[in-house]
Amino acid sequence: MRVLAVAVVVLLTAPVIHAHEIGTTRVSVVFHEDRSYDVDVVTDAAALVEKLAASNGQLPPSSISLSTLQPLLTTFDETFRRRVKIQFDSSADRPAIAYSVSSGVDASSAVATIRLSGTIPSDARQFTWTYGWTFASYAMTVRHSASESPATEWLEGGQSSAPFALRSPAPPIDRLGTAWRYLTLGFTHIVPMGLDHMLFVLGIYLLSGRVRSIVRQVTAFTVAHSITLGLSMYGVIAVSPRFVEPLIALSIMYVAIENILLSELRSWRIALVFAFGLLHGMGFAGALKELGLPRGEFATALLTFNLGVEAGQLAVIGTAFLLVGWHYSDRAWYRSRIVVPASILIACTSAYWTITRLCS
Amino acid sequence: MESHVPSRSLSQPKLLLMLAIVMTGASLSAHDMWIEPTTFSPESGQIVGVRLRVGQDLLGDPIPRDAALINQFVFEDAAGRKPLVGRDGADPAGFLRVATPGLLVVGYRSNPSPVEMTAEKFNQYLKEEGLDAIAAMRARRNETSAKAREIFSRCAKSLILSGAATAEQRDRPLGFTLELVAEKNPYALHAGEDLPVRLTYENGPLAGALVVAMNRRNPLEKLSARSDSDGRVRFKLPADGMWLVKAVHMVPAPAGASAEWASFWASLTFDLRPARPEGR
Repeated sequence: MRVLAVAVVVLLTAPVIHAHEIGTTRVSVVFHEDRSYDVDVVTDAAALVEKLAASNGQLPPSSISLSTLQPLLTTFDETFRRRVKIQFDSSADRPAIAYSVSSGVDASSAVATIRLSGTIPSDARQFTWTYGWTFASYAMTVRHSASESPATEWLEGGQSSAPFALRSPAPPIDRLGTAWRYLTLGFTHIVPMGLDHMLFVLGIYLLSGRVRSIVRQVTAFTVAHSITLGLSMYGVIAVSPRFVEPLIALSIMYVAIENILLSELRSWRIALVFAFGLLHGMGFAGALKELGLPRGEFATALLTFNLGVEAGQLAVIGTAFLLVGWHYSDRAWYRSRIVVPASILIACTSAYWTITRLCS
Repeated sequence: MESHVPSRSLSQPKLLLMLAIVMTGASLSAHDMWIEPTTFSPESGQIVGVRLRVGQDLLGDPIPRDAALINQFVFEDAAGRKPLVGRDGADPAGFLRVATPGLLVVGYRSNPSPVEMTAEKFNQYLKEEGLDAIAAMRARRNETSAKAREIFSRCAKSLILSGAATAEQRDRPLGFTLELVAEKNPYALHAGEDLPVRLTYENGPLAGALVVAMNRRNPLEKLSARSDSDGRVRFKLPADGMWLVKAVHMVPAPAGASAEWASFWASLTFDLRPARPEGR
């Protein structure tokens, strides 16, 4: 008498901690930059179909061939989904699933490659994977598409993976947003973070209270540092900060000492300020490289960072003018009580920086 | 000798289905391991792939060859014992060539693997595999609620027949720590006939062990029996097709094993012919 077909249950364990032999199943997870994901499950096709059929209350197919396996897997789609769980934070995702079957290394085996695809929810922070269609241990690799080295975890059938931290979505590239961000970064690189640049600009301001003198020096400085900032950022020139930073400190000291010794703008002073501007531009470039420039908005970021630097310089000069220049620059004691003491203070500070930067 | 009648009738698929639904999602702690050749009845000269499978209720996953795990992977025919060849990481794990017609005994003995289980899982596993003596020992030691560390070893065998079956052809002991030996040639039997099986531990009879037999087409209809004082059980195999006979034995782990217990998993697979035509 023929034995009746009865339901065979796949008792694939839920949270199993029993370490079994390593099987042929492999799972690889890739998170793409566009917030999509792919999970590839590679497994023995015939063994999977047998389990799916049994779990569906059917006998395993009597003859399994490469051509019959793929339609069978597709038929069992809903059954397959029952023991596969993709979870973002605490929410389960329902992926699109594509089944394909190819011949294995030897003619008697067939390999199923099952691709589960979907979109990562915008606010998702963690990914968890559970696969209950194997009795053996298997390796799961997880990586971001930009990353070359995947993380590997060994799992048992039915065991949930450790939560995998997802990267925060990259903010969309927006020209106006980029311009504002780098304008702000340029400004704050001077005020309040760039004390050395602030002292240099103050040194320029202190030499003479005349507007013409200030404008000529600031213009020379701005043109010069814009040139070296641009050339450095585009990789045309590259000078080590080990040389640039002590020279910047030295330039501040020079301007301060000259302020003590001279009371009028001389022509060589413009040339020197221009030369110092070239040095400061390389210093700005070092800072900007550390911040990084968006690939798609390189020119916008470079230009607005430079504009931010200018705004910072003007803020320093404007503040100094409002505090002391406006009311006192025409007073007889202005030079002896303001310019010289302030320049001495600047010279001492920059001398200290020169030494520490040379020694560091 | 003792034989148990299946606890569920073969003619009650609905009952089984209900049971199946109830059992879905249940968690078992341990999985069987068996040998599944690409054919149980090769021609002389044929190359046979020998698959290793781990799973449950004869639903299993292929286990690729792992040189680090293999203690013995051999087959024995009239000419003697030979190793199964194969490539590390490949499935089937081994290959043999049938040199002459006859009954071939294929065996796989693994090195021990460590595992740690929660008390709940371990107690459940002891119950499912009929390891009552170990459960009682743990209770005596007040360890029932303690987690357990175990080293487990596989002792799998398979019988393959090339050519005509004769009653003189016999399964042969391979000397595995725990071993099931068919005391009749299963290929000389038909569905509905008795198969005596002997269970040995360290080459001596193992009494009182739970031995379970299941058919590929109806694995939930298990036959089970406790081995007698000679380590014997007798199963009346009701259906043709592939059969798996299995038993698990556990002892306290040897000193220095970094585990409290050592288990041995014996299995024997073969193919049974359909029932004899009536009147013969």
